[in-house]
Amino acid sequence: MTQLEQTGSTQHELEHSVQSTQTLVKASAFAGLFGALILTVAILPAEYNIDPTGIGASLGLTALANAAPLEPTKQTVTGQAGEFQKHSTEITVPAGKGLEYKLNMLKGETILYSWNSSGGELFFDFHGEPKGDKTGYFESYTVSTSDTIRGSLTAPFDGSHGWYWENKGSSPITVSLKIAGNYEIIGIK
Amino acid sequence: MWSKPLPLTRFFILICAFGFSATLFAHGVDDNTKQFLLANQGVSIIPYMYIGAKHMVTGYDHLLFLVGVIFFLYRSKDIMVYVTLFTIGHSLTLMFGVLYDIAMNPYLIDAIIGFSIIYKGFDNLGGFKRVLGFQPNTKAAVMIFGLFHGFGLATKIQEFEIPKEGLFENLIAFNVGVELGQFSALILVLIALSFWRRHPSFLRFSTATNALLMSSGVMLVGFQLTGFFTTV
Repeated sequence: MTQLEQTGSTQHELEHSVQSTQTLVKASAFAGLFGALILTVAILPAEYNIDPTGIGASLGLTALANAAPLEPTKQTVTGQAGEFQKHSTEITVPAGKGLEYKLNMLKGETILYSWNSSGGELFFDFHGEPKGDKTGYFESYTVSTSDTIRGSLTAPFDGSHGWYWENKGSSPITVSLKIAGNYEIIGIK
Repeated sequence: MWSKPLPLTRFFILICAFGFSATLFAHGVDDNTKQFLLANQGVSIIPYMYIGAKHMVTGYDHLLFLVGVIFFLYRSKDIMVYVTLFTIGHSLTLMFGVLYDIAMNPYLIDAIIGFSIIYKGFDNLGGFKRVLGFQPNTKAAVMIFGLFHGFGLATKIQEFEIPKEGLFENLIAFNVGVELGQFSALILVLIALSFWRRHPSFLRFSTATNALLMSSGVMLVGFQLTGFFTTV
């Protein structure tokens, strides 16, 4: 404390001291060198895969930078789940209840579908939910009330796509559904 | 006054403990938050407030600057004045930047924020007084750097094309969250600093601490400038 020279200025009430030029040079040189060192051996290799010294790679840090961009391509390579197939199935929607029938589809995969209900009209919401989404987000393709619908869908994103039917009547309604295309059945949810 | 534990201190520690997350990011927002912001429509006050608070508490660039600012502030009145100036500065540019859709390069802004940490560390060592012969106005510096920190916050919001509907309300909520986050982080820093100040090691290591502060600023500047030159 004794070697420190107090500013004692009234204009700014900072009670800190002015260091000697030697200390300043030392502190600044340390800051610059230490900062640059961590930057070149750790931060740049781990964040940008820029590794001029090679130390980042030997520490395994460049793997961090390489890991990120691989993920999306991996999805499309492994995502051959939806082969061309056809299905027809019957789903019974209980009176006063709603249920979902979903398919797994990758972005760009297409299905042709048709369904009709026996015993009355159903409210339905044909929609998709993006894969990995936890916010409850969904995109509706068709929302209506009908007893027969046919159409096609090209999935706008990877995820589960399908119908929510709601039976507002007082007796069960059976839906017979026909699908053809590239998809993977998830089934009733 | 900071040497006596305030009755509210425990409460704030609790709040801070809730606010803290194990993951830190100096740039960008995590995936879940991103999903939320993209899917969200209309006004949602509490979520935006939370995002603002979380960004501040986990955004070490803002926190390092604040540590530098309050490092040698002993009186609570001074702390209030400086923190208020910082708050005014960043609130102005956060609101202005988003509402007027001012295009800013996030890397350059974050590099300036990194520079603000170097500046403050050097300033704490009395560097400007030694080199320039006079002390540049510290209050003005906090305010001006506060403006840049606010642009930094604005670029985080601008990364998402948030619907115009409810933008103003959401922005206010985000800003309030930022202040809450800053407040809780500040309390923690102040508690730590006030304990440390009672030990002789505070003065002994204050030079080293400010040098470390400067070096972290150097890292941030290098990190952001590299990002700027490699991605543009």
